[in-house]
Amino acid sequence: MRPILLQGHERSLTQIKFNREGDLLFSCSKDLTINVWFSHNGERLGTYEGHNGAVWTIDVDSQSRFMVSGSADNEMRLWSVQTGKCLFVWEFPTAVKHVAFNEDDDQIVCITEQRMGHQGAIRVFNINREGDGTNQSLEPVSLFHPVGSKPTVCAFPYMSGLILTGHESGKVALFDAKTGDEVLNNERAHMDNVTDLQLSADRSYFVTSSKDKTARIHDAKTLRVLKTFSTETPLNSAALAPDQPYVLLGGGQEAMSVTTTSARQGKFETRFWHKVFEEEVGRVKGHFGPVNTIAIHPQGIAYASGGEDGFVRVHHFDESYTKAKPYGDLEIIN
Amino acid sequence: MATETVPKTSWADDVDELEQPKTEDFVDENGIRTTIEYAVNEDGKKVKITRRTKRTLQKSLVEHAVAEHKTWSKFGHEKGNKPGPDRATTTVGENVFLKLSQGNKSSEPEPSAEKTMKATLAKAGAGKVVCRLCKGDHFTAKCPYKDSLAGLEETPPAGNDDDGETALPAAPAAPGAPSKYIPPSMRGNRGPGESMRGTGSRDDLPTLRVTNISEDTQENDLRDLFGTFGRVARVYVGRDRETGIGKGFAFVSFEDKATAQRAMEKTHGRGYDSLILNVQWSQPREQK
Repeated sequence: MRPILLQGHERSLTQIKFNREGDLLFSCSKDLTINVWFSHNGERLGTYEGHNGAVWTIDVDSQSRFMVSGSADNEMRLWSVQTGKCLFVWEFPTAVKHVAFNEDDDQIVCITEQRMGHQGAIRVFNINREGDGTNQSLEPVSLFHPVGSKPTVCAFPYMSGLILTGHESGKVALFDAKTGDEVLNNERAHMDNVTDLQLSADRSYFVTSSKDKTARIHDAKTLRVLKTFSTETPLNSAALAPDQPYVLLGGGQEAMSVTTTSARQGKFETRFWHKVFEEEVGRVKGHFGPVNTIAIHPQGIAYASGGEDGFVRVHHFDESYTKAKPYGDLEIIN
Repeated sequence: MATETVPKTSWADDVDELEQPKTEDFVDENGIRTTIEYAVNEDGKKVKITRRTKRTLQKSLVEHAVAEHKTWSKFGHEKGNKPGPDRATTTVGENVFLKLSQGNKSSEPEPSAEKTMKATLAKAGAGKVVCRLCKGDHFTAKCPYKDSLAGLEETPPAGNDDDGETALPAAPAAPGAPSKYIPPSMRGNRGPGESMRGTGSRDDLPTLRVTNISEDTQENDLRDLFGTFGRVARVYVGRDRETGIGKGFAFVSFEDKATAQRAMEKTHGRGYDSLILNVQWSQPREQK
């Protein structure tokens, strides 16, 4: 594979996302801009400007019409994907750490950080898809403060009315979107900070990565841990490959201690693990710093990784990727 | 406003094209485009590069949404830029390999330090790396025959005409009875009760003066080194009286003059412990 290197950011990447068709790749970083790229050739379509702080998180709706971003300037912004115009700005007392659209694109969940005397909060907003998108409600449809460990990542699972969260303590929980009650939790899902949470295509299970050097697949309804992938480095991101039984893990040593080790020791590779057999099957190197975020093309033909080094690398899989059968011909017997 | 339309290029991309011949670029009737360029290669020679390219349009079916996204005009920093990837933001990286196999925990094998060093040497014009011992393409220090000093056996041994003992270091002294153990005191057709140190006094032994050895060379190291030529009677390493650190010289006495001669020829000028050995006949004290 010849990766395409995207150099649109001056600081470390925080999140990258493909749209539903996989032709657009969104990237945000600790500098102020959000970039959108054509994934097939790495051409930059445009930039979204307006944030005044590190952009921590982005999400795009399934129609590639709206994009939402959360930043350290305490703002959440709604953008028009096509024109790059900012359509709406929500302001909060603290930084926005994670945002996510729901499956129907009519709701956004966001996490604001616990800081400066303000409690960490989870807010759900309704998105008005009528008109040009500038007419949004400032008031969240629900707002609640989870007690205990602060949430770091969130998503809408397939069950309606629930929000899935990952926490700093390693907890994974389900909250009632209206009342804010903790419906279910798994306190011992991870032993350390949950850094990423990505849902499967049908949202019935999800993979989390954690600083405790493991990634785990959980059942979305019961929060039962289905699979565990133990690596030797703190993980920043985990993604599920569609159509193939692989999980992609990215991580590496903490950015602060990177200078003390060589690239090889730093373990800055993207690791491919077999989803079922919980065994590593391959690695791709390339980044000069920890891999902060990984996204996979929804059709499984490519993946992109964003690193602490400020680069996004888009890899289009070779034919050998789809043909590889590391465990031989496996037959599913019902 | 005029400055805005100038495409962004990095200063590093600017090539000094002043003294280069003009490039040619034409398309023939078959639609094959020929580009002729002139460039200066790594060796400082001018080369003519002729490229023949044929463009074929490849069509692929995509979803409506994807096709529509392609028609979107650029915005933000990219506003007004022409279609196609911009080299300032988009580059193609080095080929990486992904081999999926059971329990595969490695990315592509990293080139060893030796290979990297060889590549840099080759680039610097230092030529190929040749082992001084076996003439293989590796460093002498990495020679698999380093310990056995195989390189020394390449030339026919010089002094084995008078005595069979010189060829092998641990060969039994008496050629006639190789299978039977003979105590050292009895070797060399000596009778019992004679000195183990050979027939004469120590000054009579053929002695080599070895200089330019490293400070931490021990007697045993030299015994190993010179033992390959034949029996070493005595090794003395000059040391500082107080610190015990080597002074960089040693005397090695052989039992046989031919062996000593051969050892001198072979080891003089050879690298040992990153230093080049200087091996000469030791001058008797009286002559100084």
